[in-house]
Amino acid sequence: MRFAIQKKISTVMMLFLLCFALNVSAQMRPNHEGYFDVRSATTLLVEQDYLLDARLQLFLSDEALNALNSGVPLTIELSIEIIRSRRFLPDAKEEELEFQFELEYRPLSQRYIVRDVQKGTQDSYATLFSALNKLGKVQNLILIQNSSLDPRASYRFRLQALLSTKQYSAPLRILFFWRDQWDLKSEWYEWQLQK
Amino acid sequence: MGFEKRMVRMATPKIRPLLYGMLGAFGVGLSFVALLMLSQVAQNSENFDRLADSILWVNVLCLFVLLLLLIGNLSKLYRDYRSHVPGSKLKARMVGMFVGLAIIPLLIVFYFSMQFINRGIDTWFNVEVEAGLDDALTLSRNALAMQMRDHLAATEQIAERLKLTNSSQFIYEIGSLRQEIGASELTLFGRNGRMIATNSDQTAGIAPKGVSDELLMQVRQNRPYVSLDPLSDGSYEIRTGVPLIGGRNLDVIGTIRSRFIVSQRIGRMVNSIDSSYTDYKKIVYLRAPLKRTFSLTLTVVLMISLLASIYGAFVLSRRLVSPIQNLVKGTRAVAKGDFDTQLPIPTGDEIGFLVNSFNEMTRGLSLARQQASMSQNLVEAERANLEIILANLSTGVISLESNLKIRTANKAAGAILNADFDGRAGDLLSDVAADNTVLQELYDVVKKQFDKGITIWHDQIVVHAIKGRRVLTCACTDLSSEAGEEVGFVVVFDDITQQLQSQRDAAWSEVARRLAHEIKNPLTPIQLSAERLRKKYLDTMSSKDGEILDRSTHIIVEQVAAMRDMVNAFSDYARAPDMEISSFDIEDLINDVVDLYKEQEAKIKIIFNIKTPIENFDADPGRIRQMMHNLIRNSIEAIDSKADGLINIIIKPKEINKIAMIEITVEDNGGGFKSQSLGQVFDPYVTSKPKGTGLGLAIVKKLVEEHMGSIEASNTKNNGALISILLPRNEKTRETIIINSKKNQDNGRALV
Repeated sequence: MRFAIQKKISTVMMLFLLCFALNVSAQMRPNHEGYFDVRSATTLLVEQDYLLDARLQLFLSDEALNALNSGVPLTIELSIEIIRSRRFLPDAKEEELEFQFELEYRPLSQRYIVRDVQKGTQDSYATLFSALNKLGKVQNLILIQNSSLDPRASYRFRLQALLSTKQYSAPLRILFFWRDQWDLKSEWYEWQLQK
Repeated sequence: MGFEKRMVRMATPKIRPLLYGMLGAFGVGLSFVALLMLSQVAQNSENFDRLADSILWVNVLCLFVLLLLLIGNLSKLYRDYRSHVPGSKLKARMVGMFVGLAIIPLLIVFYFSMQFINRGIDTWFNVEVEAGLDDALTLSRNALAMQMRDHLAATEQIAERLKLTNSSQFIYEIGSLRQEIGASELTLFGRNGRMIATNSDQTAGIAPKGVSDELLMQVRQNRPYVSLDPLSDGSYEIRTGVPLIGGRNLDVIGTIRSRFIVSQRIGRMVNSIDSSYTDYKKIVYLRAPLKRTFSLTLTVVLMISLLASIYGAFVLSRRLVSPIQNLVKGTRAVAKGDFDTQLPIPTGDEIGFLVNSFNEMTRGLSLARQQASMSQNLVEAERANLEIILANLSTGVISLESNLKIRTANKAAGAILNADFDGRAGDLLSDVAADNTVLQELYDVVKKQFDKGITIWHDQIVVHAIKGRRVLTCACTDLSSEAGEEVGFVVVFDDITQQLQSQRDAAWSEVARRLAHEIKNPLTPIQLSAERLRKKYLDTMSSKDGEILDRSTHIIVEQVAAMRDMVNAFSDYARAPDMEISSFDIEDLINDVVDLYKEQEAKIKIIFNIKTPIENFDADPGRIRQMMHNLIRNSIEAIDSKADGLINIIIKPKEINKIAMIEITVEDNGGGFKSQSLGQVFDPYVTSKPKGTGLGLAIVKKLVEEHMGSIEASNTKNNGALISILLPRNEKTRETIIINSKKNQDNGRALV
């Protein structure tokens, strides 16, 4: 009887220690979740076009990085919304724009390729850092013509950078849907259009 | 319900099974659609991309519907099981069996499929292939690395040559230098990265790309730069960059960048190796997700199949158990006596045959019951009819059991025997007859025959009722069952006293008529002859002879006169002149008659009482006068010379069966009728008096009957005679009596 009680106590202690160890190991695990952040964004009117200059900070998660190094191209999407402010009614979404950039690793050349999906141009970089740095530096991206906007109205822009999974096959999308590391997106960054 | 067939209703309302059926069909349909879509996807993965969302939602919906159905079915089965609903245990066993049969193969298939998928996908990734691809990649890299080193060396040579010459000279020689080293482009950048000179094999007008940051950074560190850059068209380009040294201190004064296009043949091969390696790595990476996807698909298919199988098990077991449940319900209904139960025939199999047999059995039972009911109704109708006949029959009928206990007796029996048979069924006839002399006499006859062992007999018996002698014709027959057993007797009897009386009356009328005719005719010649003899020979004879002649002829004339009176009386009895009905005062009429006799018979006290004045009395006054004469004379003759003779005449109105009558009673104290001849006092020549022809009361009876009245004779307590006469009050009541009498005669004939 006494032996049985001691055995039970030791079992409980072992379980407690196991839980503690798991908790500690979880806390010590480095953060490889990745994150996207819009540091700054602004629009410039050059001739008749509004151009976007933005600075992004892009850190890939372990899973995304692993996929990239395994030959799976990643698509970084810049989602931009042009919103017209209204006084008495809810604000109107005037335009929704998407710019996609593909990041790919080529094992033979051991270089990272950044491809502008819309334009079809590409550049290669020796390091992922250089490639992400290039992606994070958005310059002179044509958004909208000035004539398309109402001169009397007040507008604001919203920018979000996200890791798009739309281009992947459905099985992958279903799996990615349940994985947080593939849910990389920045908060919306908003700024007022200065005319 | 009658002969209509009634279908057994199921426990649940009709809408619910319909909804369940529709939901089930929807769920199974969805299952098929889901499985079809999954099959499409398995055949072509591109379809999955198109159908992924649809598959997901269809599967989710399908699982939801099937789960809903299963929960509904399980809860119903649980409720039925707890409530001990017939067939629920069998249904539970069958569901368990079907589910077991479905689950085990499904799980086996699932296990082996999972093994096959995991191992099959693993076999795609051959180690040798991977090593080969690695080697090919390394070889390609090495091959290109040689080119890269050569191109870098060539670029460095140009930088070395420019170190010894003026850099401005480079602008003039750049074209030849580019061609010398075989570059597609050769560009000189300044210290700040600005382009100084460039030469390209491309068409003029296309500006070369700027120097990249990493090249510039490396060159600024006085290190040569070389890279292999994939181009968007699938070709490769080798880019080299070297610092340009110059000036007094031999500092880096610029950058020389050269670009070399890898030959198309090599580029294609290198690209192929690169793509293959990438694809292989990609597949390796996707191995786990692929396994998970297939596993998930297989699991979904398993779940759908499993749920569909369980639901199918419910449907199948319900289809199998339903006829049995119906049979149980039907059996219970039959046990409760509902033979009209008809069960729906499920299929043409053995259960269907069983249900069909059950339906045939209930049909047979129902038909038999209907026939029995019809027979019973017929018997009841016959019995009721017989009871009506017996009740209205003028003949008395008493049915007796073999031990002479009364079974039934009709009203006529009670009326004839003056007995009350109501509620005496089951009593011994002897007990009922104990206080009834008439019935006792009948019982004696019956018992006598019974003791002799004679069960079928016919006899005419005379019983003595209070009102006189009655003649009954009596017949008895035995009642035998179908098996021939004697179960009782029926005694049928009828009071034929009246009938006999009528026959006697008719006979006497005929006799009287013949007598009057035959006797009256010679009387006048006899009288005339006697008178003539007397007249002719009296004077011629001696006084002695004349005295004899005179006395003889006088006797002849007297006797002829007496005989004529007698003949006239007979004639009066026989003849039936037309009635002359008129309204008159009967009180006056009777007073006249009474006054006449009061004067003649001073010794006899005649009292006439009329309690209520009689008005509007219609009758033949002549006949009523004669009737009263006869009655009073009859009483006077009965009293004869008795002292304190008394005749009491009473007239009073009376209502019999709602018919207005008047009652005339003549009572005397002359000694009454002999009890033996009480029933025959109205017969001609029946008299107990020393005087009289014996026709007085017979004529009275005839006169009364001509008025549609009735007459009764009885003895009083004072040893006198009492004659009671009932006469209809007027012509209308007389007609009513005639109609009723006719009806009774008709009914009697019909009933007989």
